[in-house]
Amino acid sequence: MSGYPAFVKKEFIENIKNHRFLIMFAVFLVFGMMSAFLAKFTPEILSALAADMEMNSEPVALDAWKQFYKNISGVGFSAFIILYGSCLSGEYSKGTLVLMVTKGLSRKAIILAKYTVAAVLMTISYWVSYAFTYGYTGVLWVDTKLPNAALAALALWVVGFMYLSILMIGCVLFRQTFTSILFTGGIAAVISLLGIIEPFAKFSPFNLTTQNIDLISGIAAPSDFILPTLISVIISIMGLLIAIKLFNTKEL
Amino acid sequence: MNVLTIQNLSKSFGKQKIIDNLNMSVPEGSIFGFIGQNGAGKTTTMKMVLGLLQPDSGEIHVCNETVCFGQTKTNQFIGYLPDVPEFYNYMTPPQYLRLCGAVIGIPKSKIEQRGQELLSLVGLSGATKQIGGFSRGMKQRLGIAQALLTSPKLLICDEPTSALDPVGRREILDILRRISDTTTVLFSTHILSDVERICDRAAFLNEGKIAVCGTLAEIKALHGHDSLLVEFSADDELLMFKQQQAIKPLIASSEENNREIILHSCNMKKVQQSLFNVFSETGLCPVKMEIMEPSLESLFLEVIK
Repeated sequence: MSGYPAFVKKEFIENIKNHRFLIMFAVFLVFGMMSAFLAKFTPEILSALAADMEMNSEPVALDAWKQFYKNISGVGFSAFIILYGSCLSGEYSKGTLVLMVTKGLSRKAIILAKYTVAAVLMTISYWVSYAFTYGYTGVLWVDTKLPNAALAALALWVVGFMYLSILMIGCVLFRQTFTSILFTGGIAAVISLLGIIEPFAKFSPFNLTTQNIDLISGIAAPSDFILPTLISVIISIMGLLIAIKLFNTKEL
Repeated sequence: MNVLTIQNLSKSFGKQKIIDNLNMSVPEGSIFGFIGQNGAGKTTTMKMVLGLLQPDSGEIHVCNETVCFGQTKTNQFIGYLPDVPEFYNYMTPPQYLRLCGAVIGIPKSKIEQRGQELLSLVGLSGATKQIGGFSRGMKQRLGIAQALLTSPKLLICDEPTSALDPVGRREILDILRRISDTTTVLFSTHILSDVERICDRAAFLNEGKIAVCGTLAEIKALHGHDSLLVEFSADDELLMFKQQQAIKPLIASSEENNREIILHSCNMKKVQQSLFNVFSETGLCPVKMEIMEPSLESLFLEVIK
């Protein structure tokens, strides 16, 4: 695995220079900062805009987390996939990888370095976003205690790795960014559809993106998340291994 | 000893057979010209040598080790310069060489020293701007520097001069000649003057096979016939020349251009004798008479016919 640390360093620099990290961080940060405020003030904004509209219920801390999970699992991860959809296609089309591979850089090191850096930058963006939501929710709803907030966030974070593994397969298989993204979307859709079918419903990885609020509010128990998390981790590892295997047979 | 040996190599893309049972070897210490038309399969062959493309059949050995597709073990002996080398545009040449050095596993202190040596060899020691702003010639030179970083036994250059202006071309050829003392160079091209300028051996690739291979002298000796150019000052003189009984048998394989005629024959001495007889009998006086040296170009055109 010679060259892995050097390529990881190159990937970090590249992600900063091409603003990929900045954009992803900004998207996650905005959602992290907005979730609590939107939950708190949406009723007031709506009443101000439409005077005759009456709000029946007071917003609660759970509404802030609802906003967070809705935004991050939807727009946040979509932005992540779109931004990293070009992580290999750009190098294919320019031919920059050819020089690295002919230098003796192993193909496994390339995939692992790209995965590592994308995962680390997603992790930073994700948990900063979580920290902001957590902080603002604590400030705006002082007395509310939501014990499973971190556990719910952990579950969604695992899904991020799964998306990234699927995306890596797409990036290795297809030379166009758009096709890689479409592939990831397609596989994600298949997994989510499988989750509807009864025998799979209990351990579908998509429970990790849809039942976070249930976990925080106490409707779902942490034990309900064990199987889906395990399956997500297995899919992530398998996906990464498949991506490496396919990349070894890819003609550059 | 051969640095590179290719045996019975074949490769198709779809139904199109690009390389068809190709055999070739590159001896150590040579500057080897790999000649072929555009689309003849030069790049495909080189990419298979580098393990970037999977051959349909055949074997490739680099420094007596077998090349395996997708693996990079044999690449430790090879430096590669693609036809259009592309780098990470946000890096400067020293930064790029540092990345290459780290990927190869050269110690940090040595990378700096070797990087500086190579950059000054290719004339880029003063270039501190980002590679994104480089001209094609500068990228080509940096390409050579990165290819030589490992002090490879074999340097493979894919049409290194094709897209360059005459000055850039000469510079690249000079660099290749300079390094040939320590490194075997295999370079593909369709510019035959480049081959004549620096190569000592060459191979012609045609229809997926090696049509001709050997030292330049051997290749030129393969030329089946010699040519003689005769030029007259007026059209009627040429006409009269062609009507002579002794000349008529030679006309069938001749080429004509304005008042020039090029005669081909395997026995040039005999042709010259009959020509001089004709001139003395008819009083015809050519303005120019020249035996044409066989060139790689004429041989190349003959091969691809």
